Amino acid sequence: MHPTKPAAWTNTPDAEEIARRQTVNINIETVSNNISTDYPGHFPGEDVEFTIERFREAFSVNFHQNDQFLSSFSLVGIDASLSNAFRRILLAEIPTLAIENVYIENNTSVIQDEVLAHRLGLIPFKGGREGLHNFLKWHKKPEVGEDPYAGCFDWNTVRLELNVECTVNPDASPAEDDPLKAYNNAHVYAKDLVFVPTGKQEEYFSGENAIMPTNPDILIAKLRPRQSINLAMHMHKGIGSDHAKFSPVATASYRLLPTITITKPILGADAEKFAKCFPKGVIGLEKVTKKEAAKKGSGYEGQEGQAKAVVVDAMKDTVSRECLRHAEFEGKVKLGRRRDHFIFSIESTGQWDSDELFLESVKHMKLKCKKLEQQVINMAR
Amino acid sequence: MPREEYQVPTGASGAQRGATRDAHESRAQMSYLCGDCGGSVTLGKDALVACPHCAGRVLYKERTKRMVQFEAR
Amino acid sequence: MPGRTKKQEDPVEDTNMEDAPPSAQPEDVNDENVEEEEEEEEEEEEEVDPQRVKILPGSTDTAASFEFIDEGHTLGNALRYIVMKNPDVEFCAYSIPHPSEPKMNIRIQTYKGTAFDALKKGLSDLQDVCDVVADEFWAKRDAYNGEHGIDR
Repeated sequence: MHPTKPAAWTNTPDAEEIARRQTVNINIETVSNNISTDYPGHFPGEDVEFTIERFREAFSVNFHQNDQFLSSFSLVGIDASLSNAFRRILLAEIPTLAIENVYIENNTSVIQDEVLAHRLGLIPFKGGREGLHNFLKWHKKPEVGEDPYAGCFDWNTVRLELNVECTVNPDASPAEDDPLKAYNNAHVYAKDLVFVPTGKQEEYFSGENAIMPTNPDILIAKLRPRQSINLAMHMHKGIGSDHAKFSPVATASYRLLPTITITKPILGADAEKFAKCFPKGVIGLEKVTKKEAAKKGSGYEGQEGQAKAVVVDAMKDTVSRECLRHAEFEGKVKLGRRRDHFIFSIESTGQWDSDELFLESVKHMKLKCKKLEQQVINMAR
Repeated sequence: MPREEYQVPTGASGAQRGATRDAHESRAQMSYLCGDCGGSVTLGKDALVACPHCAGRVLYKERTKRMVQFEAR
Repeated sequence: MPGRTKKQEDPVEDTNMEDAPPSAQPEDVNDENVEEEEEEEEEEEEEVDPQRVKILPGSTDTAASFEFIDEGHTLGNALRYIVMKNPDVEFCAYSIPHPSEPKMNIRIQTYKGTAFDALKKGLSDLQDVCDVVADEFWAKRDAYNGEHGIDR
């Protein structure tokens, strides 16, 4: 039977209880306390209703790295369902431009037409931001029987060409056995793709802003003398849920912040061994102070000057659980993860800056909810 | 759009289906590529299947001159 | 309506045969008019934005299932979480009945208030969350860039 009114008494958990709730325990073979409990009614008398003020109060972001194409930051005070939504949007719902159609005039290389087309599709491109994000719009796939080029305009289609022929290098020694020296164009690279601006694309994609591969040295095909490739390509906008080539990120992932709690002193040679169970910089060695040694029941009695293990930076830990395999540390250490601390890592493929990408995913989520809220209101009418 | 759709032979062209000879005569000369020397070999209807340059007997058909469209997927 | 006939003495001028009521019983002319207008409205909206949310049969005010077309785990789980954070909600869960159908169902049962209102509040709370996350993220990003001399 449901409570028709909230419990008459109120209860607030103490700090220890809060720490317990926000930690997922990592045991030697298992995990435990892995389910969120921050829902109204889970603990009687506690008020955990969602309010935006509370969320704003609890939520924070910390940046760890912010390069153009690689950023890392923490979201603290947010539920997994929300940060996972942002991650999923990053992977599958933010649009990018990629090669979609390949028109092959000639291909006498050993790589088959369809394989070549597939390889071309997966090459990431960059270009002027204004043109990519605002000028270029969606392209509608033509229906069967419709003129395939009728829907192609400068604002939704980017044309690229690739024309290479391999020839014998007359300057090379006849004994040369490096194909790159013996022949011209023995390797076809992403940088050989030529952007052909049409219409207003000249304005948005010229000079620095031209459409070009993010990584110019991607190998597309290998040729031998008298083999040639002549083809044109059309690029369109698309999203990752349609095809992975449209995904704006190489990786977008998060991990929970590891926690390491040393519950009983680890001293001397054990401390050194303990530090070796973790990646560099996670565990440090400190000297036991006079004060600690004097304190009864601390485990440090008479150990002044002895090395002790302390946690320096748990974020660097990979949670390998190595320390749990050794008998000497049994009962002295607890491993866990912070349930509401997400360490994001976003690596862009070049069409967006990595920090911009996350902001875009948040905006995307908001727009999605806004549209659906309107739909829900329409449904009622 | 499917790239290589099977074309159902139409009834009207049924008379020509068995008559490969007629089709051949309209283009009696076919061009091939020699598998040994890579040279171009033009063969007539009853010509010996061999490369005149190197006597290689493996000949390859030339690639179509038509443009072929693929989806980059 | 094939196989149905309309009584002669029931002249309903602004309904043609297709819109005629399926029974030969006399119907309220005004009711018919209202229905027709609603249909027209829905058709207009379909051209702008197709209706992607519907309420599933068997739903009551306090216990309803909603079907979302073209939504998945991304929205489903986030919405489930935020609706569950509402103390008026007794139960909330989402499911994707079949992976090859682009549908997501969400079930909401409430102690008080309607399931519909809980859903609407959930969607509006999610928008607020997005604003807070975006603002905090960009503020911290600017601060970090300032500290490290990143100029982009």
